[in-house]
Amino acid sequence: MIVRLARPPAFATDRTLLGVAVFVASESIFFLAVVLSYIAYRDAGLASAKEHLDIGRTALFSIALFSSSATMALAARGLSRRWLLWTLALGAVFLGGQASEYARLLASGIGPGSALFGTTFFTLTGLHGIHVLGGLVALSALLVAAGRRPAGVRPVAWEAVGMYWHFVDVVWVVVFSVVYLGTLT
Amino acid sequence: MRPPAEAIGDLSLVVGAIALVIFVGVEGALVYAVWRYRDTRGLAGEAARFERNRPLEIAWTAAPALVLAVVFVLMLGTMAEIGGASADPGVRVRVIGHQFWWEFRYGDVVTANELHIPVGTPIDLELTSADVIHSFWVPELGPKRDVVPGATNRLRLLARRPGGYEGQCAEFCGIEHAWMRLRVVAQPHAEFDAWLRAEGSPAAVRGTEGERVFLANICVNCHAARGTEARGSSGPDLTHVGARATLGAGVLPNDVARMRAWLDDPQRHKPGSFMPRVPLEDAELDALAAYMAALR
Amino acid sequence: MTATALWVRRPAHERVGWLRTVDHKEIGVLYVGMGLVFFALGGIEALVLRAQLATPQARLVDPDVFNQLFTVHGLTMILLAVVPLLVGFANYLVPLMIGAPDVAYPRLNALSFWLSLVGGIVLYFSFVAGGAPNTGWFSYPPLAERAFAPTPGVDYYILGLAVNGAGTIIGAINLAVTILLMRCPGMAISRVPLFVWMTLITAILILGAYPALTAALVMLFVDRQLGGRFFDPAGGGQPVLWQHLFWFFGHPEVYIMVLPAMGMISEVIPVFSRKPIFGYAFVAGSSVAIAFLSFSVWAHHMFAVLGDSENAIFSATSMLIAIPTGVKIFNWIATMVGGRIRLTTAMLFAVGFIAMFVIGGLSGVSLAVVPIDLAVTDSYYVVAHLHYVLFGGTMLGAFAGAYYWFPKMTGRLLDERLGKLHFWLTFAGFNLTFLPMHWLGVVGMPRRVFTYPESTGWGPLNLAATVGAALLAVAMVVFFANVVRSLRSGDIAGDDPWDGFTLEWATTSPPPPGNFAAIPAVTGRRPLWDRKHPERRDQT
Ligand code: HEA
Ligand code: HEA
Ligand code: HEC
Ligand code: CUA
Ligand SMILES: [Cu+2]
Repeated sequence: MIVRLARPPAFATDRTLLGVAVFVASESIFFLAVVLSYIAYRDAGLASAKEHLDIGRTALFSIALFSSSATMALAARGLSRRWLLWTLALGAVFLGGQASEYARLLASGIGPGSALFGTTFFTLTGLHGIHVLGGLVALSALLVAAGRRPAGVRPVAWEAVGMYWHFVDVVWVVVFSVVYLGTLT
Repeated sequence: MRPPAEAIGDLSLVVGAIALVIFVGVEGALVYAVWRYRDTRGLAGEAARFERNRPLEIAWTAAPALVLAVVFVLMLGTMAEIGGASADPGVRVRVIGHQFWWEFRYGDVVTANELHIPVGTPIDLELTSADVIHSFWVPELGPKRDVVPGATNRLRLLARRPGGYEGQCAEFCGIEHAWMRLRVVAQPHAEFDAWLRAEGSPAAVRGTEGERVFLANICVNCHAARGTEARGSSGPDLTHVGARATLGAGVLPNDVARMRAWLDDPQRHKPGSFMPRVPLEDAELDALAAYMAALR
Repeated sequence: MTATALWVRRPAHERVGWLRTVDHKEIGVLYVGMGLVFFALGGIEALVLRAQLATPQARLVDPDVFNQLFTVHGLTMILLAVVPLLVGFANYLVPLMIGAPDVAYPRLNALSFWLSLVGGIVLYFSFVAGGAPNTGWFSYPPLAERAFAPTPGVDYYILGLAVNGAGTIIGAINLAVTILLMRCPGMAISRVPLFVWMTLITAILILGAYPALTAALVMLFVDRQLGGRFFDPAGGGQPVLWQHLFWFFGHPEVYIMVLPAMGMISEVIPVFSRKPIFGYAFVAGSSVAIAFLSFSVWAHHMFAVLGDSENAIFSATSMLIAIPTGVKIFNWIATMVGGRIRLTTAMLFAVGFIAMFVIGGLSGVSLAVVPIDLAVTDSYYVVAHLHYVLFGGTMLGAFAGAYYWFPKMTGRLLDERLGKLHFWLTFAGFNLTFLPMHWLGVVGMPRRVFTYPESTGWGPLNLAATVGAALLAVAMVVFFANVVRSLRSGDIAGDDPWDGFTLEWATTSPPPPGNFAAIPAVTGRRPLWDRKHPERRDQT
């Protein structure tokens, strides 16, 4: 680890990684804007948030997503398809959880059009969900490619996909804190 | 307190003067450089190697900073003044922007498109909107303030001289934004009080044929005329419409003929405005127009 | 290579190649072509606006058409004309200037162009699909909400801008990475040509600003299509939130539109003064300052809704931007001092840029003074300001670049006589059009009005502006004629027609695929100068 830090970070020299890094930086501004908008309306929606959000269940699914970051790291280090599969699975579990959460809310009459809480909640979590989905697509693509001809896939491809996946993960840390933990106060 | 417009005018003069000096200096230097150093002999190669001079560069970084510091301080002064926290208002008016006309409420006295104020007293306007964002602007009397739905913004005005001042909605608010004009009528106190009393009184004429037509048609769904059964509120209050200078927020001068033309087909004069065409017989139109014009 | 090889020569069986090209030069040309076509469209829209406004209470076009036209005119000029023009030049020139064979991701490069173009086409498709957006280029809600804008125009606005923006973001990533990682040996970041340097800053601004717009567009989409409440006061939403998000994009966007043009004249002025740029470090550094500041001034577009304390702060930051910008102006003038100035058309346009931009800048600073802004905001004074900086600045700079690099891109020179005619017609027409607007704004003419009453007395100045616009149209026809004519029969340029300083002039005109026979190695800021004058190499 120490050794790694001593060297300049890989993305400072590799085209692909720098590209992903820059992209991720730009994406963070995007999420920043949406999160700030959520916070701007937080008080207006707090009551229904307290009433309808299920922190416990979502926390479980969040753990799935968080641990998928670890499996991704392992996958990238060992170029291991097994760990990659794990990552995919955990990501899918998270999305499944979010889908069930949506179903529950919509059933109880909370939708993007119902009130400020619905509008902001579905927009923020939905946008994150779409990014997770994109990540899953990237993971699958990598999985297939690495399966077909492992030699053809440069190691940075693994790192690049990893970088994006970790980003999606970090975003969820923020979203989860703001949207779910935010209701505890 | 000074009319905000005057305070802003003075500030503009100072800033304008500073800008003019900079303009002349910079453009002068530019033209001089181009003229003085233009290539006359068509020589190739290098002219000179004058490419660095720290003191000079520091100087022309610092100089503008100083100028701007001065401008900023002057600005704060003017902002404090036109904020007008000092003098308390003589009159409070609630201004409600509508697509595409203005509603003015003096307590429960309601009128439209023509704002009467007493001269020499600060006026407080409480601005809000019934639909989209508008912006209240009477250039000769003061700055703008946006008129935002769901919010109440304040604007302080003051007129020194009696007379009419043209104003207009300044924030694009839809198809007829151009014809969302308004008029401010500044009057001596006595006159203003008289006007306010008159404006507060119910409709002047009763029981005419025109009134019958008015009350018998959908007009009443949108318009109010105090003293009659007309209580609509989605259109301008008509209790004293005949006394206003214009119709349709400035689109037509107000006289019987124009009134008749407006009532005959508002969409021809102000396409897209929210007053529909109400089909009426010629005779009815004449009576109605006469009645409206008589509401003074 | 002589004739008009706008794109790299290919064997006949691949002649449609440029449709799926991934060569940065061909993509650059595509971008520039897109920019010019949309500039013509936006200009023609402007001519209709001017015709309608020429006289009081004219009935040439009906109100809604007028509102669609000024909305699309603004969007076209900013997002579909200026940005593609500048990105196009960057695409073509950056790899050449840093001695690289191509950009970092050639395929993504093609993708970003096509996305930008499709975004524009989507926007224009609205004209035949129920009406173009008619809410102004910054489409403030609630006016832009379904309730008040029921036609699909605003939905095309959302889709078109989102797609176009995605293309621009990808393009920015590409340019940034190219500049950071693909410089030839010896080309330290402190040695790159100023155009490259300012392109890098522009790319960073795009990456920081466009996502805010995308976010705002998503929210407006949710409001319009899913019944959301983001900007609907009835549902507790705040219209002002949109304004914050939009202008957080909108203000950096204006520097995105001017920095590359500043980079262009920073290349043109030294070459035609036969001198190195004065104060390279200050010119480059001031761009960084502008980049930072430009993210901290957005609310100067909202003085009329915000309170005094916010206004004072944003006024201060806005004024600060004048300082680094001034540094540039002064350095350009100092570059000319002591030079031997060749007044070619390119140089004329560069000088015109400085002259006109100063006017627009000063009016900008006056707008940053809150009370003055409250007097003239949303009036023609603002319209005057924005055209002085965008046309008088950006477009004149782009024309300077066009006359300077056209020979490199085509192998042929643009005609200088037509060029000078183009310049003087533009200069006269431009000032006749936009100078009177300052006064119109001061005396109370709001922007975005399709007409005005006779009694206002605004008629004569509006007529003058319209005449000026017609003059501008003539000027543009002269320009397009010059381009067409020169493509066919312009003088052969040769590799280095201007006795240039930078690497693009070290290869053929137009350059071959791969740009350079051998990847060059450089030892200074003016590699080609060093090569031509080994005895007087630059020290930096
Ligand atoms: C290329 C585009 C461009 C550029 C470069 C600028 C530059 C500046 N702009 Fe402008 N602006 C626009 C494009 C641009 N603007 C557009 C499109 C709008 C309208 C948007 C809309 O509503 O549709 C707008 C609107 C706008 C407003 C809002 C007006 C309103 O709607 O009420 C304001 C207010 O502060 C402003 C300020 C400034 C300032 C302070 C600068 C400064 O950066 C200028 C700095 C430059 C100089 C000052 C000149 C050179 C300096 C010197 C010679 C040194 C000495 C000078 C001094 C000491 C003052 N601009
Ligand atoms: C780079 C930006 C840019 C440029 C270059 C221009 C160029 C012009 N603009 Fe525009 N303008 C804006 C950006 C720009 N504008 C913006 C952002 C707004 C605000 C929009 C809003 O409020 O939402 C605006 C608004 C605006 C208004 C105010 C509308 C209103 O508020 O009601 C007006 C009115 O006069 C106007 C006029 C013009 C004119 C006459 C030109 C002229 O310079 C045009 C010159 C070009 C031509 C005349 C075209 C020439 C081409 C031909 C003649 C065809 C030849 C073709 C071939 C031979 C192939 N513009
Ligand atoms: C659907 C609502 C509606 C109906 C019905 C309606 N009006 Fe109107 N009226 C308006 C609106 C809105 C305006 C303001 C139009 C504008 O200026 O944009 C207006 C304006 C007017 C004006 C001009 C007021 C002024 O000060 O400018 C008059 C007079 C008027 N209406 C009279 C009538 C009469 C008489 C009828 C019935 C024959 C009628 N209206 C029916 C909504 C309505
Ligand atoms: Cu109301 Cu414009
Ligand atoms: Cu700005």
